[in-house]
Amino acid sequence: MPPIDTPAVPPDPTAAAGGRRPRRGKVTHFLGQNVGLVLALVMLVAAIVLYCAVYWAETQSLPGNFELTSTVNNTMPLVLAAIGQSFVVLTRGLDLSIGGTMDLANALAAVHIHDSPGSMVLWSVIVLAIGAGLGLVNGLLVGVGRLQPILATLATLSIYQGIAIKVLPQPGGSIPPVYTSVLVNPFQPYALLYVLLVALVWYAFRRSRIGVAIFAIGNDEQSARANGIDTVRARVTSFTLSGLFAGAAGLFLAATATAGDATTGNGFTLTSIVACVLGGMNLFGGRGSGIGVIAGAFVTTMIVNILFFSNIDPLYQSFYEGLFLVVAVVLSTAIGRFLRRSR
Amino acid sequence: MIGRFTRRRFLQAGATAAAGLGVAGSLALPQLAPGIARAADKKFTIALSNSFIGNKWRIEMENVFKAALQMEPFASQVEGSWFNSGNDVSKQSQQISNLIAKKVDAIVVNAASPTGLNGILTQATQRGILVVSFDNIVTAPSVLKVNTDQVEFGKKLAQWLVDKLGGKGNVIMVTGVAGTSVDLDRNKGADEVWKANPGIKVVNRYTGMWDSSTAERNTTAILPSLPQIDGIWCQGGTDGVLKAFIAAKRPLPPTAGEAENGFRKFMIGYDGHKVDGISIGQPPFLSVISLELARRVLAGTYPKKDITIPFPYVTNDTVKVGETVFPDLPDSFFADFTDSGPDATVKMCIDGATDGKACPGELNVKLPPA
Amino acid sequence: MSEATQTAGGVVPPAVEGIRLAKAFGGVQAVDSATFSARPGEVHALVGENGAGKSTLIKLLGGRLRPDAGEVRAAGRKVELHGADDAHALGIWTVFQELTLLPWMTVAENLLIRREPRGRLGLIDRDRMVGEADRVLTWLGIDHIDPRALIEDLSLAQRQMVEIARVIIQDPSTLLLDEPTSSLGEKEVAWLFELIQGLRADGKCIIFTSHRWNEITSIADRITIFRNGAEVGTFTEIDEDRAVTLMTGRQLEAFYPQPPARAHDRAVLEVEELAGEGLRNASLTLHASEILGVGGLAGHGHRELFFSLFGAQAHSGRIVVDGRPARIRSPRDAARLGMALVPEDRKTEGLLLPLSVRANLTLAVLPAVSSLGLIGGARERGLAQGMVDALKIRTPGLGNPVRQLSGGNQQKVLLGRWLLADSRILLLYDVTRGVDVATKHEIYELMMRLAGEGRALLYYSSDAEELAHLCHRVLVMREGRIAAELSAPGITAEDIVTAAVRESRAAD
Repeated sequence: MPPIDTPAVPPDPTAAAGGRRPRRGKVTHFLGQNVGLVLALVMLVAAIVLYCAVYWAETQSLPGNFELTSTVNNTMPLVLAAIGQSFVVLTRGLDLSIGGTMDLANALAAVHIHDSPGSMVLWSVIVLAIGAGLGLVNGLLVGVGRLQPILATLATLSIYQGIAIKVLPQPGGSIPPVYTSVLVNPFQPYALLYVLLVALVWYAFRRSRIGVAIFAIGNDEQSARANGIDTVRARVTSFTLSGLFAGAAGLFLAATATAGDATTGNGFTLTSIVACVLGGMNLFGGRGSGIGVIAGAFVTTMIVNILFFSNIDPLYQSFYEGLFLVVAVVLSTAIGRFLRRSR
Repeated sequence: MIGRFTRRRFLQAGATAAAGLGVAGSLALPQLAPGIARAADKKFTIALSNSFIGNKWRIEMENVFKAALQMEPFASQVEGSWFNSGNDVSKQSQQISNLIAKKVDAIVVNAASPTGLNGILTQATQRGILVVSFDNIVTAPSVLKVNTDQVEFGKKLAQWLVDKLGGKGNVIMVTGVAGTSVDLDRNKGADEVWKANPGIKVVNRYTGMWDSSTAERNTTAILPSLPQIDGIWCQGGTDGVLKAFIAAKRPLPPTAGEAENGFRKFMIGYDGHKVDGISIGQPPFLSVISLELARRVLAGTYPKKDITIPFPYVTNDTVKVGETVFPDLPDSFFADFTDSGPDATVKMCIDGATDGKACPGELNVKLPPA
Repeated sequence: MSEATQTAGGVVPPAVEGIRLAKAFGGVQAVDSATFSARPGEVHALVGENGAGKSTLIKLLGGRLRPDAGEVRAAGRKVELHGADDAHALGIWTVFQELTLLPWMTVAENLLIRREPRGRLGLIDRDRMVGEADRVLTWLGIDHIDPRALIEDLSLAQRQMVEIARVIIQDPSTLLLDEPTSSLGEKEVAWLFELIQGLRADGKCIIFTSHRWNEITSIADRITIFRNGAEVGTFTEIDEDRAVTLMTGRQLEAFYPQPPARAHDRAVLEVEELAGEGLRNASLTLHASEILGVGGLAGHGHRELFFSLFGAQAHSGRIVVDGRPARIRSPRDAARLGMALVPEDRKTEGLLLPLSVRANLTLAVLPAVSSLGLIGGARERGLAQGMVDALKIRTPGLGNPVRQLSGGNQQKVLLGRWLLADSRILLLYDVTRGVDVATKHEIYELMMRLAGEGRALLYYSSDAEELAHLCHRVLVMREGRIAAELSAPGITAEDIVTAAVRESRAAD
């Protein structure tokens, strides 16, 4: 469509305002424009190194297969919840109902998934669909109903939690061991494959039309609309994706626990936001990388590990966790600002 | 001079960094390499994994655990540690993973969810780690459970009231946090007793949320609509209920309630008011019982089995200042950190409950007969 | 004038027409039975004061607004435009004054949004996208803009060029430009005009609005003048005098007020050898009740001079205020010395757009209007209302957000804030750029009054004509230095331009 090959306007070099400057390399641009992601990865590497150091000091050996497996398995629900959250954060919103959606997914899984391949596949799909449906409700409230995201999802959080309690009033139910070993194999870190899969999904999202639209409304909703983007649809989709991923997070949570509890998802609303922040997601929307968010989720687990092995008084653990978080966020903001200025 | 200085520095370095340097380590600080040097009389490593630490009960529970670790026989036999994760299942699960990695001998757990830790706790038991769960117990079958009988709790309170009132009168029921198994069980126990005693009339039943200020607020709101009350049955927040009665200028009827220090103060006379009562609670020393169970099982002197301990309780006849009621401590303090009487399961001193300090003498924990 | 054009091939209908269009916002009739027509192959300028209805007309023609009455025709046929996409389908594209670029996305993403090249699995092929964007930029002669750069990291002018480029590559048959030059420098304007001429030669219809008369006359084939929501007339030939009269009902001679006689000769600001980024040993003296103009070609240190003086840019050199040496390291320091800066880029430098006119006016004097830490109601109101009256700030009310005001009135709010703070040294940086004729005139009168009160004004304008008429003296800057000084009376715009160009040439 663009008349690139047959210029309607004769190119006139003298008309150029300023000469052609050499292009900076792809990598240079990438680093400069993805400071949050780069810092999240650096933070993760630093956390892993520190973890290995305190682990060594305590046990005179290095973490092995078990440590890797349990870390990945325990982080999977957060990885999924945080990625879900990031879709909404990109649009300059927050999804507070993630915890409720996870609760419901968790409860449904514990009640309905039985030890047959058919039941496992069928109910996994149903739970994911329900998760997406709950997200869709949020999306419609925000996109079509024009409610503030925080308000709408705060309300639906209670509703979803309520439904979850109805489905599973007492902690219980059970998840077939086969299901657990497929999702979060307790003996081998196969769950890393799901991390890879999430990264690939993000890669595709970033390069899809809907991805561009979601990024665009986080950049500037009015401009996005002026560019012909259907902002309502993009917003609704972002919440739907969030619900879908929260549903998956609930399944993984049930699989790690091997049973259901309709309240254990609650905390993920907050921790998913924390992982987004650590992952370099801009809470004002439009900027950030899912890869960074995955790293951010693992950093939160690493903080737990590091504090565990550094023999810190448990009473001060949450203090140190908060401190870590503040330092991490302040550092990444400061470094980001410094890098931008020095360009 | 230089030599001494260097040696001291060396020892300090050894002590802090725990760098297992062969000669210096075994000479100066043999306990640094427990696996090698002290294999024969190795201490058991037992860790407490607690979820939420944000209320008085949990703090007392952790304090008595710490106190016990400093007392014999635990001080010489157990290397203890404790961790809090908040009500975050993934975090508690990760902490337990780390305990597995550290190869502790036993894990004592007060769980964030009855089912949420089943996966990791099963992994722990499969790796030969003894897991004892208490208070908010888990459902994983391979885990030992230490708890009280909550149905019995409700029954005992109700039966005491029935006896006091001679089987006839109006009572109110102040219940707990709806939807929890503890609340359901306690109410169930009470209802069984009421059924057997048709003379007792439950004139109202409302929640106090196990919280004194909520119980007080709800009682204040509901009292004007109630006839004469002959007895109070209360799961928690008992002192709040009594304060509401006093504010409404109602006489204090016989009260069957929880183990709040405030309630027990009324039992010995407080602010010119005295109440006839029975006070039972979920004892914070469940952590110590669990610790003892773990120690005994590891030592091979007790079978691997679940235990239910009797509730410690006091009445106006048995309540004792400085032992089971503390006029100088806040109303919200749980006065049942220790058992009392000749058959007491655990006898813990006040410093243990408030500061986690060792009490004088040995700590004798009576587990039910094996 | 006939609605169609007679050519050798027959009758060619107008590219786009508006017939008796009307559009009201609330109670304000923005466009009131306006009729307008533009042909293929012509450049048609739309001029008028702000609020005359130009922007609304552009939006009606571009499908962004629906008319209350009247009709839009494209290529002679009546069309219903339900949105921008409908207009686009007819080849009608708009470049807006307020940019619609996405700041944290790259130039390439912005250029090709919704038309990205796709590769495997239907995913966007980013490398190809960058390559395509690069070709577009090269083809349009703006390959100094890196397709991988973020919009946020581009200058305002570069962003405007990307915005224009984005529309050009849609191959519009009718191109609507709303004040395309307001944030462009001279070189960029030349680039744009070159582009427009190419499009005209290709038979496209170009409609644009501008406040710069010399630009209008240099490129427009026809000019339609708007006033009070309707056209006054369409001309192929008209001089500025008459145009201004038609736009405002006022004669041009009276347009520039006479600067007041200088009552004092007291130096209030002495600057010696000011240096810093873009500044090389600039020295000047500003006296009480003096309007000292600063002119020259864009990019020769004016902005740096003003921002250094206001403490917003690092600098070295000696600054003496009221005879005392002063260290100005932050805008706070400058404000304490009685200095005030009114910059051209209103949105990012100074105003809090979502806040009310009142709050913006009294921001600098908050301590004076508050007691016990609370912002005082009546007193604050009184001060703000006084300033609104004095400066003739056109606002529906004191409580309305500044965002709702027109550009010129936003400038006045900023100026009013400093006047309330009793600033005596006013640094006015291109304050009339993009401001409509009537408001411009009011700003001129205000400047005269302020100088008459004894305040000292340092005044930069990109419009040499303004400097020539309004200033006591004019300093021409070149490469960060003061290259020439001209004194009234008898300064002409040509003098200023010649001085700037001559010095510039000499430097080459």
